[in-house]
Amino acid sequence: MGRYIARRLIQVPLVLVVVSLMTFLITRATPGDPVQIMLGMQTSKEAAEAMRKEFNLDRSLPEQYVLWLGKVVSGDLGRSIRLNDPVTTLLAERLPVSLQLAAAGMAFALLVSIPLGVAAALRRNSWIDYLCTGYTVAGFAIPNFGLALILIYVFSIRLDWLPITGIGTAEQLSGGVWTYVKPFIIPAIALGTLQTAILTRLLRSSMIDVLSQDYMRTARAKGLMPATVVVVHALKNAMIPFVTMAAIQFGYMIGIQVTIEYIFAVPGMGSAVLNAVVNRDFPVIQGFTLVIAAFFLFANILADLLYALLDPRIRY
Amino acid sequence: MSTASPSPAAPYRIPSSLALAARQFPRHRLALVGFVCLLAICLAAALAPWVAPYDPVQIKLGSKLKPPSWEHWLGTDHFGRDVFSRLIWGGRTSLSVGALVVAFAFTIGVPLGLASGYFGGRVDNLLMRLVDAFLTFPPLLLAVALVGLLGPDIQNVMLAIGLVQAPILARVVRGSTLAVREDVYVTAARALGARPTRIVLSHILRNVMSPIVVQLTVVFAAAVIAEASLSFLGFGTQPPQPSWGRDMSEARRFLADAPWMFMAPTGIIMLCVLSINFLGDGLRDALDPRAWRTRRRLADGEG
Repeated sequence: MGRYIARRLIQVPLVLVVVSLMTFLITRATPGDPVQIMLGMQTSKEAAEAMRKEFNLDRSLPEQYVLWLGKVVSGDLGRSIRLNDPVTTLLAERLPVSLQLAAAGMAFALLVSIPLGVAAALRRNSWIDYLCTGYTVAGFAIPNFGLALILIYVFSIRLDWLPITGIGTAEQLSGGVWTYVKPFIIPAIALGTLQTAILTRLLRSSMIDVLSQDYMRTARAKGLMPATVVVVHALKNAMIPFVTMAAIQFGYMIGIQVTIEYIFAVPGMGSAVLNAVVNRDFPVIQGFTLVIAAFFLFANILADLLYALLDPRIRY
Repeated sequence: MSTASPSPAAPYRIPSSLALAARQFPRHRLALVGFVCLLAICLAAALAPWVAPYDPVQIKLGSKLKPPSWEHWLGTDHFGRDVFSRLIWGGRTSLSVGALVVAFAFTIGVPLGLASGYFGGRVDNLLMRLVDAFLTFPPLLLAVALVGLLGPDIQNVMLAIGLVQAPILARVVRGSTLAVREDVYVTAARALGARPTRIVLSHILRNVMSPIVVQLTVVFAAAVIAEASLSFLGFGTQPPQPSWGRDMSEARRFLADAPWMFMAPTGIIMLCVLSINFLGDGLRDALDPRAWRTRRRLADGEG
């Protein structure tokens, strides 16, 4: 086990180097000069040269990459060309917001998928099972921004129950629990619906699988309460693939928030990358993609570890 | 020629696996519905100049933000343009991006997957690590970054989505190739002295074709949603060209006054993706002979 974790952790920096090299090459191979975008057309040659020198853009490509990589190892992601702030400062602003939004989406997915998946598996071919199938099929087909617009229309415009902005603002963080939670509700549902569909379908099928096992009959035969049988014997076993999938999906969630951030004006990672791409802000693009990729990799390792932890049969 | 009802004189011919699958497919009712819907959407998009009742880009400020009526089935937008006509024209972009992405993913993903799965070893290791690196980027963000850097243009949109989807397809093909690589007919072909290219192209490819076809429906659905997302963010089709995603982005400003403006594109995207998903389910069953037997057994047992 320890050796397995060590091997997986050693691979992380290797994959990150490949990812950062790819990002580097893509940004440098495509048209668009950050200095020109920043300074405008009328700028003097000297000013542009000075700026190029400041950001090492006057050096050869291999030199640029190696210099960047060398700084990253010591925790320095460089400075934004556009905003002139260190990329780490930007990250410290954006990452918490994105994590909160991802957590909110995941919380919604878990709150819905566990009861729905279990109920559908226990009462197959009942109305709740059809509801579950309908929800998952629709959840796979609706784009999250379309769902977001529908929810805004119904719950903020027609019913006027929920706000559509306010994530990441000072008022939200300083107010009470409800002030904090309220702006998250619609974005969380819009963001988490695809994950809910994936997780519900998975839990339903793994529950059905577990319910047909011999030990379930034994548990019932020795007179355990039906609730105990379902929760302790069935759900616990059915949760193994579920928890793994939830961890993997959580790793995805930071990267798929872009459209949601765009609609709800959330100052998250996705919109920062969007702006950086438009302005060719190379250090920001490289730093942010690196963090997003690292987050994804660690979520995957976590998924594997949870799998081994929950299922004693698995040995790495 | 169909051999469904051979006359007594004709010798019995074993129907091809494709013919069997074609006969199996319509039994999956939802898949048939999906196929018909998708065909209708494709035809409407292809015949847009004749099917669409109005010009999708002509501005008529006199009739702006009109709710659905007999004249304008899905209402009009803030420039007085007919929403229904824009849906039909917008389908051209979405569906052609979908089709191009499928073609791109197939040309890149299938050879890579076959090579990786069949040759194994160092080739496999190298290719799969590359795929891993691609898959650590969130798909939508990668596509946005590529289009943002290359410029918002339909070819770049196609390329960006294709580059995201091809590695996923490659991994599926690799998995299926690994599964059939050790099958007896492959060993037999090798024993007969067939060259690797021949084994891969005429023995393995034929046998991994059904997972490929099913995965391609997934790619198509993902491409339609990705194109809409890119256009929604302003990185895809540029106004005034009609586009499902872009039109939804415009509709955000008129949510309260003209809800039909966002509901119509949302609905058509859902219908399109649902149809493709049902079609994929049907193909999965029709192309897998084991599924036919199970279904028949289930039908016998329960019916």
